[in-house]
Amino acid sequence: MMHYLNRLLSALAVLVLTVSTASAAITVGGKNFTEQLLMAEMTTQLLEANGFDVDKADGMGSTVLRKAQLNGQVDVYWEYTGTSLVTYNKKSSKGLSAEETVKKVRQLDKKQGLTWLECSDANNTYALAVKEGRSDTEGLETLSDLAQAYNEGRELTMAVNAEFPHREDGLIGLEKMYDFRVPRAQRAPMDSGLTYQALNEDQADIALVFATDGRIEAFDFRVLKDDKGFFPNYALCPVVRTETLEANPGLRAPLEHLASKLDDETMQRLNARVDVDKVAIRKVAEEFLKSEGLI
Amino acid sequence: MATASATLRAAAPGRRGMRNLVLAAMFAFGAWAQASGLIGDVLYLWPDIRFLTRQHLLLVGISWGLAIAAGIPLGVLLTRPWMRKYSESVLQVVNTGQTIPTLAVLALAMSILGIGFWPSIFGLWIYSLLPIVRNTYQGILAVPGHLMEAAVGMGMTRRQILWRVELPNSLFVIFAGLRTALAINVGTAPLAFLIGGGGLGELIFTGIALDRTTMMLAGAVPTALLAVILDFLIGQLQFWLVPKGVNPLRLNR
Repeated sequence: MMHYLNRLLSALAVLVLTVSTASAAITVGGKNFTEQLLMAEMTTQLLEANGFDVDKADGMGSTVLRKAQLNGQVDVYWEYTGTSLVTYNKKSSKGLSAEETVKKVRQLDKKQGLTWLECSDANNTYALAVKEGRSDTEGLETLSDLAQAYNEGRELTMAVNAEFPHREDGLIGLEKMYDFRVPRAQRAPMDSGLTYQALNEDQADIALVFATDGRIEAFDFRVLKDDKGFFPNYALCPVVRTETLEANPGLRAPLEHLASKLDDETMQRLNARVDVDKVAIRKVAEEFLKSEGLI
Repeated sequence: MATASATLRAAAPGRRGMRNLVLAAMFAFGAWAQASGLIGDVLYLWPDIRFLTRQHLLLVGISWGLAIAAGIPLGVLLTRPWMRKYSESVLQVVNTGQTIPTLAVLALAMSILGIGFWPSIFGLWIYSLLPIVRNTYQGILAVPGHLMEAAVGMGMTRRQILWRVELPNSLFVIFAGLRTALAINVGTAPLAFLIGGGGLGELIFTGIALDRTTMMLAGAVPTALLAVILDFLIGQLQFWLVPKGVNPLRLNR
């Protein structure tokens, strides 16, 4: 009896060992909106084509995803420079150019064990938009105009996502710099991605949008000019845990290659394929990677 | 001061120890709350909590009210003799509304009605309907046959039977349905945030997105409190409104 048990135990031990060495999969993370879901899917397909074992974990909020990466639960995901600088590292982005922002973030995050690879040219900054042809927001061209409208007591409903009102690089900082307040009753937070629909269907007067979203053009939105330069640069870059990168140096080349293919127009086009043309994310990702010869 | 020290002296040693322990625990909680920034966070969120609690109550109140307005007449209608053969099928349809996962109901409401307050009301309304219809239906069916016979024998009209015999006798069961509907409704309403309907879900989902525990609690605790308080209130209504003779809670008093 003991004999069998011993054999069984050693067999189990061998099994566990092989499984644990074989399961050194790369976990690809992603946030909870179209562009991020798309990037997570592209990265998954790209790394699989390069012979990596990949687990995908997307649909998280920014802060949760960042924590997961610091904890080692996520190995790689695409982050925006401004988000890391202002939200995670609590630094001011004032007066920093795109290159300076990348440099600063790279340096700050290195100490936390994260490596920022070469960035793409896509700058997915926050923006506030109105719909063309709506009389109540007709005269608004800049964020200063918007601030003035709120200060005059005009009732404009602003559709935002869950994070924006509570982020220093979001409404908190924006209200400080432009010196206005959006009254509580006129703030309408909702799931990311719904803000476009809300503005398009006249359920809101102003909507929070991402600059690389294809729906801005498709729905005929007008982006308000950030005339005081409040919003930081949000270059889209692959960020890898340094530990993972050292164990898998082969990760760098394909990720940087993909980054080099991305800019504002490309992202807008890809996002529009998903949000406007309603093509499945998996398909959009595959088509793009194939057309660029990445897989 | 004199009374206070007198009370202190009067208290038995065991109770004094207990009181000191409670005081120490309260002090420790206060110190911890201060140190962890809980108090600052709650102060920061307080306008949100008030605004969203109001919105939450509106969502719950309107959808639940509409569910009562539609559910009780529908339940009564299903018990009428000429409807009997259809009633189970109608109940099945209403039942389906509740079999579909909550989030899917809201998503369907969104795709038909768009986003915002009224689609959320619609989703919550569908969700509250079943317990009300079913309990009204079952409650009236369960009215004892001899009561009905006596009512017919007394020469009561259909309408009189409904108002004086059937409804009072089934009121307790109907109330139980209203209570279930309300509990489901309060707990489901946080999901309305996802389709832009507002409510306390906003704090819960934002708290998850930003990984801020206080914010999540600022949404979750009031939601739970609302459920408990509203259930208590309707429990009181049930106790006092249902006639003494047919109220199992008051039969023995």
